[in-house]
Amino acid sequence: MHSEVFQTLSDPTRRRIVEALLSGEQAVNDLVERVSIHQSGVSRHLRILHEAGFVQVRPKGAQRLYSLRAEPFRELDAWVTAYRKLWEARLDRFGEELERRQRARAAKRKEGSS
Amino acid sequence: MIKHPPGMTSESRRRIRLERTYQAPIEDVWELWTTKEGIESWWGPGGFRVTVKSMDLRPGGKLEYVMEAVEPEQIEFMKKAGMPTAHEATLRYTEVVAPTRLAYLHAADFIPGVEVYDVSHLIEITETANGVRMTLTFDAMHDEHWTNMAAAGWEQELDKLGQALSS
Repeated sequence: MHSEVFQTLSDPTRRRIVEALLSGEQAVNDLVERVSIHQSGVSRHLRILHEAGFVQVRPKGAQRLYSLRAEPFRELDAWVTAYRKLWEARLDRFGEELERRQRARAAKRKEGSS
Repeated sequence: MIKHPPGMTSESRRRIRLERTYQAPIEDVWELWTTKEGIESWWGPGGFRVTVKSMDLRPGGKLEYVMEAVEPEQIEFMKKAGMPTAHEATLRYTEVVAPTRLAYLHAADFIPGVEVYDVSHLIEITETANGVRMTLTFDAMHDEHWTNMAAAGWEQELDKLGQALSS
């Protein structure tokens, strides 16, 4: 996965567009209304989202309809899952090391008292 | 004002959070995070050795370490993946409050195929009746709202996305 996925979504307006598209395919005008920013802004952000693979577009009559593509979201999901796994394994080792320290201390105490 | 998608507003879903409770003195927990020997004992995955080069434990200070594959299997894996068998990493502390709170920025390393990206981490340690509770929170987006979507509630978002895509 590329850090581009995060960077593309680091913009709050683009996230609002993505959220608006969660309910399905939409024309630019609908999006302008839903995210309440100027059309030129929506168009610019849609272009960035399109270039990064987050949205696809198809013509319908005079309109262009935008919808989400699943791939970058799956990448994001895979990244989060992988990172969580890495940390779960790390925390297992952390717990083992804590136990080892306590056993070592107990052994030392025993040695000292005998 | 950012609008939250349905079902995504609860605090529990805001970030990626791992929680463990250990039967150990709180000082031991803090030491494992904040000493050279402590970090070296658990940070690296099996088959790798971690060597701390420097540790400057204060906000703005750095931890520098080297992670090196030492077992044949891991050395082979790194070579096959076209990665060096040893790599250096640095993390930057942003908050240090002994023995309860530690925060730092660190590139999310060691996931094959993933580009390096700065992730903020927060470790909170509290004594409870059941032991020492440690929670680790990480935020890849440096942004609560987005992590909200990328974290535990994400599967739900993907489901919704799947429905949106197939309708």
